[in-house]
Amino acid sequence: MLAQLAISGIVVGSVYALVALGMTILFRATSIVNFGHGEFFMLGAFAIYVLKQGFGWSYPVAIAIAFGLLFLVGVLVERVLIRPLGSAPFLSFAMMTVAFSFLFKGLTRFFYGRDVSMLPPLLNGEPLDFGSVVLFPQDFLVIAGAGATMTIFFLFFEYTQVGKIVQAASQAPRGAALVGINVPAFHSAMWGVAALTGAVAALLIAPSTLVYPDMGGQMLVHAFAAMTLGGFGSLGGAVLGGLSLGIIENLMGGYVSSSLVEISAYLVIMLVLLVRPQGVFGEWRTSRV
Amino acid sequence: MSKTADSSATGNYRVNHLARGRTLRGLGLATCLALLLGLPLLVNEYQQFVVNTMVIYALIAVGFNVVLGYLGQLAFANAAFFGVGAYATGLTMVHLALPLPLALLAAGAAGTVAGIAVALPALRVQGHYLAIFTLAFGELMRWVYVHADAVTFGPSGFNVPRPAALGLLGSPERGKYYLFLAVAIIAIGATVRLLRSRFGRAFVAVRNNERAAASLGVSVARAKIIAFGWSGFLVGVAGGLYALLNGRVTPDSFGLAQLLLNFAIVMIGGLGSVLGSILGAILLTGAPELLRNFAGIEEIVFSLLLIGVLFFMPKGIGGLIAARIPALREPLHRE
Repeated sequence: MLAQLAISGIVVGSVYALVALGMTILFRATSIVNFGHGEFFMLGAFAIYVLKQGFGWSYPVAIAIAFGLLFLVGVLVERVLIRPLGSAPFLSFAMMTVAFSFLFKGLTRFFYGRDVSMLPPLLNGEPLDFGSVVLFPQDFLVIAGAGATMTIFFLFFEYTQVGKIVQAASQAPRGAALVGINVPAFHSAMWGVAALTGAVAALLIAPSTLVYPDMGGQMLVHAFAAMTLGGFGSLGGAVLGGLSLGIIENLMGGYVSSSLVEISAYLVIMLVLLVRPQGVFGEWRTSRV
Repeated sequence: MSKTADSSATGNYRVNHLARGRTLRGLGLATCLALLLGLPLLVNEYQQFVVNTMVIYALIAVGFNVVLGYLGQLAFANAAFFGVGAYATGLTMVHLALPLPLALLAAGAAGTVAGIAVALPALRVQGHYLAIFTLAFGELMRWVYVHADAVTFGPSGFNVPRPAALGLLGSPERGKYYLFLAVAIIAIGATVRLLRSRFGRAFVAVRNNERAAASLGVSVARAKIIAFGWSGFLVGVAGGLYALLNGRVTPDSFGLAQLLLNFAIVMIGGLGSVLGSILGAILLTGAPELLRNFAGIEEIVFSLLLIGVLFFMPKGIGGLIAARIPALREPLHRE
């Protein structure tokens, strides 16, 4: 039972990790906390759903187009809503992300709110029995997909020229601009990438859940919990936090009470921020008067 | 020589000017009060219900503004304070058969406790950390309403007994109106007083620069606890009134949609403006009544309004008023 719960925890946890990673990349690049990130996930799920079920296209085509669309959505959000705010205070940016999250939610509800939508699994097949652990092919796909995406991100940021430029643009925007890097373009691109990670997460998890307009809110809170647990703004922390959150959730549900699954993320956020705000794996920069 | 004469003349002019401003404002307030008292004669039962809703939202908006606009903390716990108040009033009336005034006080007390509970993490964390904490707190409270069903009657909610006293003035909506109006005027008046006192100035000092405020001897911790506690009190009482208004309390009323409405009202009214909050509540509260027939429209309209305000009117209605009508300018309006 323990092994089964832990493995199932890693499966959902890797999706939390992916979404948290998308938020963290955006936060590091633009220092904006995106309260609308859950809606990127939701829009990703709906894009795949509409293309696959509505238009009847095959999965590879639907996925490719949905990913492209979501990248575009992210870029558009930055160009149309975020950039015009200029150097507004933190509160304005936070409010703007809240506003567009409700806008996307409202639009989706307006067009698709009455249907209960489902996506077929990407992989069919018999569940595999490993003695005490039973896994579905879709579970492997989730772990592999999330793992591959995260690995690509790490390699990109650590070992490529463009990745280094992105880091430079986020660490010292003015300095980067002075040496000729087009910082606003990178910010746009990072919004696109963040939205894209939402779509990847949606692709992996939506076939096991339903597709509905309010699915983003839950995911947002889970991603926040993962980031808080791992240390806000740390890429590795987001991944570790996401995996740990998935495991914690499943263990709470399995050993204590199934109704605790829904609130594990809330409890984790509140406990961590009260006891160790820098996160379990994070460091804190103190400032005193 | 001429210099002193000039300055004393200016001084006299200013004193006269201020005195006149005060008289004007007094007259204005008296007129408003008379209009508010006479209002039930002009409206039918349904319109009265909408007006009652506006009074409640005015109170909510002022309470939310204390934390968001004056203390400058991004907290998403407002819907939670509102829900706690509604449940406190409803449940004390159902389980303990408390009379109405005590049940409303219970709402205020519950809201204050929730406010202080949120203020404690606000002493340690700020900005997005606080936003995330309060988001989690709000959702946790909703989980409690649903799962503590032995006390809260679970996901479908419960009916609140209707106090007989509210029917004395001819119609129940009218009785509610005078009760709500009295509560709102007292509570908002007290808030204006609080904001003008040294506590209100401490809130604004924390908003503008927490470290500078601390270095000047402002107790940041005390300012935060008082602001959150008072905000929780106001919004909690508003929740208690809301339970009476609808005669029913359900967990769904206190979720993210409620939070969006509260945010939209405060931002459109203007951060750090009591008058703006009241006007924002009047403007936006009628809207859900008109929009409720279409799924998602409410969210679309409010989010577009919010985006419009952020782009074109960052100071909200309060900012417009401050720029056009000096007599109504509020000293602590957010710059």
